[in-house]
Amino acid sequence: MLRKLIKFDLKSGARIFLLLHGILLAVGLSGRLLFMNHLDFSEATPALVSSIVLFASLTLFLLMAVCFCTWLLIAVRFYRNLFTGEGYLTWTLPASAVEHLWAKIISGIIWYTLDCLVVAAVILMLVTGQNVTDAYSVIAPEVTAELGMPLSTFGLYLFIVMIISCFSSVIMTYFCIAVGQLFPAHRVLCAIAAYFISGLIIQAVSMGLMLLLKLFPGINLSILNGEQLAQYMFSAITLSIAIMFAVSAAEYAAVHYIMKKKINLL
Amino acid sequence: MSPILECRNLTKKYGGSYALSGLNLTLERGEIIGLLGPNGSGKSSLIKLAAGVLQPTAGEILLSGKAPGAETKRFVSYLPDRSYLGRQMRVSEAVDYYNTFYDNFRPERASGMLDSLEIDRRARLSSLSKGTLEKVQLILVMSRDADLYLLDEPIGGVDPAARDYILQTILTNYNENATVLLSTHLISDIENILDRVLFLRGGQLALNASVDEIRTEYGKSVDTLFREVFKC
Amino acid sequence: MPWKLDSSRPIYLQLMERIQHDIISGVYRPGDKIPSVRDLALEASVNPNTMQKALSELERSGLVYSQRTSGRFITEDEKMLKKMKMDLAAEHIQQFFEQMHHLGFSDEEALDLIRETLRRKNNEPDS
Repeated sequence: MLRKLIKFDLKSGARIFLLLHGILLAVGLSGRLLFMNHLDFSEATPALVSSIVLFASLTLFLLMAVCFCTWLLIAVRFYRNLFTGEGYLTWTLPASAVEHLWAKIISGIIWYTLDCLVVAAVILMLVTGQNVTDAYSVIAPEVTAELGMPLSTFGLYLFIVMIISCFSSVIMTYFCIAVGQLFPAHRVLCAIAAYFISGLIIQAVSMGLMLLLKLFPGINLSILNGEQLAQYMFSAITLSIAIMFAVSAAEYAAVHYIMKKKINLL
Repeated sequence: MSPILECRNLTKKYGGSYALSGLNLTLERGEIIGLLGPNGSGKSSLIKLAAGVLQPTAGEILLSGKAPGAETKRFVSYLPDRSYLGRQMRVSEAVDYYNTFYDNFRPERASGMLDSLEIDRRARLSSLSKGTLEKVQLILVMSRDADLYLLDEPIGGVDPAARDYILQTILTNYNENATVLLSTHLISDIENILDRVLFLRGGQLALNASVDEIRTEYGKSVDTLFREVFKC
Repeated sequence: MPWKLDSSRPIYLQLMERIQHDIISGVYRPGDKIPSVRDLALEASVNPNTMQKALSELERSGLVYSQRTSGRFITEDEKMLKKMKMDLAAEHIQQFFEQMHHLGFSDEEALDLIRETLRRKNNEPDS
């Protein structure tokens, strides 16, 4: 049953997802061929710098927009499938509430992971041209010293953190929507309120923990050397992952309870 | 064998008002039962509770002895009183969906009915007229070999010709061990196909009798009796 | 075509009457097999259980008999069919007289009216 649910969920969102990421890959490829490959790094002219800055911010904006659309797809599918008219079909299938929840969690994670992979692929595609790697190799030792590790390793860590945060983002989204539907009169509004309130609480708690563990980025961050910076980064990331897991576990428990006991379709 | 549907002190509250209050009811297998009552008398709530898309505030509802859940949804076939299929789905995809998820779905039966109505399988549900969409939904629901069919206002929004088709569809497809519970306010149209009628008033059972009992006892049709009982 | 049914009398009684009527008018002949409960119910657009009840009642009166495997048949007992015909005729006659009483005619006057009507009807083709 779980497999069937996931299959149908993926199938019904596939068209829009593939279209979106197909466009992103096409834009990435043409960016590499039409822009990046023509850059000449031998002379650092102001024109070169400003064109790179412009291109980078456009790319960043595009990547963020696609990520946002993916998130929206996940959120809308969860809401529409379970809590609107379609819910009458979904909730009368011979599947348990837990199966529905996990089907949505797994399909959400699959969307997000694919999204992260495509984003990573687009970034790699843009920066792996011969001219770029040659230019980078000149400043590589400096960057490595500054970060305390090679840039590629740093990127890999970022990627892993991104994948893990996908999981918590999916649960958080479902948590907010499920809480919202407890208030039949203003379901969407209450979902948004749940998002901000829970976000605020998590922010406050993690700030407190950082202060407690002396991980708060103080004024002397700039005078840290590479080694220390890397170390700081590691502990901060470990802490935030730990917080993320704890929050996700709590949110999961809440969604699980709501799905099992509090389903009241209008 | 436990009764197909049993309510014990079943209560459903929305905010401050009661949709059902302390309902006790037992339905046997093999009957077509009309659920009648004015608007807001709790008809739809009772059906939704049985379908498992609402949770009771108090009391319990049992289907074949079990609380609504994955197990009961296997043998309960539910037609909501609104459109509930993804608008972007094609007719063929909706059939496929039912066939995938319900073991007791009979695709050949659905095919036969779709053919007799000349409904295009490639059509998107959003392109169908309201009446046709309701027929497609009913066809899907009635193509399952269920023990209990819950039909919420199956003939509400369609013209009299379509109404006859829908009643024929119900009569043709239900088997003698199955129970059909259908809510409606168009009593006179369906009186002849019912074994039994339930009158709901203010979330409570006002009458539970067989159609011929009512006619023998009161010498009048269920429709006439209904108008008298619920006179404003 | 759904059968025409009166909305205030029990449905199974009306179904019985309708089948009796069909037997007398020759839709079914003695010894004929009658359709299944399901088919009859569909034809009449009524609940199968109600049709079942009507047929059971007819069976109890002996007008219809069932063979375990092959279905239900109209009785071949001519005497019984004749009796049913007589019963129905008696019923109609009684109803007729009741209505005539309502209109203020005595039994004798009603009979005279019948004779009068018959005479006129018989003369008509000649004129």
